[in-house]
Amino acid sequence: MQNGYAGKFLQVDLTGGVCSSFTIQEERLKKFIGGSSLAASLYLERFNLDADPLSAENPLMLMNGPLVGSGFPGSSRFAMAAKSPQTGIWGEAACGGNFGPELKRAGYDGIVITGKSPHPVILSITNNSAEISSAAYCWGKDIYETTDILKAPDKNIKVLAIGPAGENRVIFSAIANDKAHFIGRTGLGAVMGSKNLKAITARGNQAPGKANEEKYKEIFKAAIAEIKNSAFAESLHLMGSDAAMDLGMMTGDVPIKNWTVGEDFELSAKLSGPTLTETYLTKAHACSNCPVACKRVVAVKDGPFRTEEGPGPEYETCCTFGTMIMNSDLAAVIKANELCNRYGMDTISAGATIAVVMELYEKGIISLEAADHLDLAWGNMEAVMALLGKIARREGFGDILARGSVSAATHFGAGALDSVAHVKGLDLPMHDPRGFHGMGLAYMMSNRGACHLQHAAMGMEQGMVSWPQLFEMKEDYDGKTSQGKAQLVFDSENYGILGNSLSLCHYLLYCLKPETVRDAFNAITGFDFGFKDLLACGARDWTLKRGINNLLGITVKDDVLPKKILTVLTEGAAEGSVPDMKLLRDEYYAIRGLTTEGVVSKEKLLELGLPELKEKLYP
Amino acid sequence: MATHKAFTQEWLDAWKQKIAGSQEYKEIAKEWEGSVGLICNADPSKSIPNPVYLFTDYWHGDVRDFLVCDEAKVQTAKFIMTGDYARWKQVAKKELDATKALMQGKLKLKGDLTYVVRNVKTINKVIDLLTEVQTVWPDDV
Ligand code: SF4
Repeated sequence: MQNGYAGKFLQVDLTGGVCSSFTIQEERLKKFIGGSSLAASLYLERFNLDADPLSAENPLMLMNGPLVGSGFPGSSRFAMAAKSPQTGIWGEAACGGNFGPELKRAGYDGIVITGKSPHPVILSITNNSAEISSAAYCWGKDIYETTDILKAPDKNIKVLAIGPAGENRVIFSAIANDKAHFIGRTGLGAVMGSKNLKAITARGNQAPGKANEEKYKEIFKAAIAEIKNSAFAESLHLMGSDAAMDLGMMTGDVPIKNWTVGEDFELSAKLSGPTLTETYLTKAHACSNCPVACKRVVAVKDGPFRTEEGPGPEYETCCTFGTMIMNSDLAAVIKANELCNRYGMDTISAGATIAVVMELYEKGIISLEAADHLDLAWGNMEAVMALLGKIARREGFGDILARGSVSAATHFGAGALDSVAHVKGLDLPMHDPRGFHGMGLAYMMSNRGACHLQHAAMGMEQGMVSWPQLFEMKEDYDGKTSQGKAQLVFDSENYGILGNSLSLCHYLLYCLKPETVRDAFNAITGFDFGFKDLLACGARDWTLKRGINNLLGITVKDDVLPKKILTVLTEGAAEGSVPDMKLLRDEYYAIRGLTTEGVVSKEKLLELGLPELKEKLYP
Repeated sequence: MATHKAFTQEWLDAWKQKIAGSQEYKEIAKEWEGSVGLICNADPSKSIPNPVYLFTDYWHGDVRDFLVCDEAKVQTAKFIMTGDYARWKQVAKKELDATKALMQGKLKLKGDLTYVVRNVKTINKVIDLLTEVQTVWPDDV
């Protein structure tokens, strides 16, 4: 363990109840680095892409990157990946917290889980060994209860768990690390549930080594100084990710009333980061080794939405359970967040799905009877709380919603689909592409469906970062222009994906100089990568996942923005503006090396060193 | 329309007048309390031989003192924003958004960042009104 990697991966066959390990050659690590990139390369090589996402055949993978466990700021992230039950294509999500570093201390760079246990189980990993045991005592319990039970013998045990939503295969169910950090998107909680795997625990005591300790110390100091000097980091520490709310309302970034309203300053003032800080914040919390500490710990002490002290909502959640459904009560957002956390559901898709049914209810497409007599009027938070429980337990109307927004809308008639804002089946994150056309393209082309974290388009287009050392970029972009945005998205994907492969939090990617990131990677791994090599890894990752998606049937017909986003707003900063989908896509395809059908070209596959994928795409 | 040399008292007075005359500003800034000190670092190559210190004071939609001042006075402000000449010029011409400049570290803020974020609309309006002042920049002369 002298190069950031633990040196082996855990293989778990839940059908046979067998755990073993395998290694990966350095050459492959240099190509894919870590995280979901490495997972995608294993997926293509070893697994049946046609497998049903909720079948025993679909593997669930968890991967660290080389920075995890190094102590470098923001390097606690790990990725999980599988074919997604929500989208039917490549699915992945990442989170911070402390599980990744602990897994590495326990001796593993990642886990590949296959098969299905005949009964609910827990996978426990301790210093180079793993054990499968019965989960009978915590199956059916929520995530907070499960985590408390599993940590009871030793509070230093790190827990990854699903809740009732994952057990019941709600297709947007999540996986939680120590209650506060979520593998939220693409429904990987349902994949874990389909394998009867309730939780994974890790405990280890082997500190990962670095190739060049002395050099690393210098770089670490520089990184801390850069963070201290960053107003962006300060805003995250003071106000959390919800610091974005006030500014977002000014720039047209915040979606309102299921993407139909362009501006509502009264609403954002009640839901913003400063308001959260002044009202319900009890303390800031950090992922392992992060000096920024953007995570919120909150408590609602009284009123109908009382909660115990616990993890607070992110910006996205303040939108999905706030602006999107016309709720201005921050306490209710906190309560909805707590319920999603306990049941184990992605707060973006859960809230977005509820926003869709509220719109359909207003239009008379869903009746009071069809909604199990819940009054789905905008902002009715009692109904929202009840609905969240019904979704997690798949009861009545909740069972329809548990299949996701696209399926739920389809259930209520083809016209209802226009109420859903999704790309490739994944609900849009809470940044409106009408104010930022580059974000629209990034949503269209993200390999897991609409995503704000598979690239750094937001940082670049909204002017939060300046990286002239990496590629040509402007100091300021006009958000409401489509021309030229393809290059921005291409560059931002390559660097953003690289951050994911390294397992570096994007907030830190925004705060740190690219030189510092590059030098930390080289000092830890002993590799000698320049910016060009690093960006090539980002490009390779994107292309590999696109190729996998091509094999799963994705073509140009899927690279589209939803009708919601192609409909103009009549007020606010994004008024009158919609992304020029065709222009964005045509320019992007040319830069990315995609055919007019949206398939990765042979030349591009060879250029990026993906001959195995070429064999499969062009047999 | 009269033009004013940047960073002079006349220029500040013209800016103050624009703000005081804006009904929209009065509405947006009704919650804002307190002064903002602006420091432009010296840049002899751009005809700024010494640092420039400006003191601007706002109170619930009204405007109070707008002064070219000394360092001691600027340090009494509730918020202090510091930056290089080139950045201030970009901000004043709306070529660079002030909030983005803060996030990118192109301008530095001393003071309560939470308050500034909450009142970002007020700040943007003040800058918008500055763009309406016909300004002559020292390095353009
Ligand atoms: S900035 Fe926030 S999310 Fe990122 S590593 Fe730090 S605490 Fe975690």
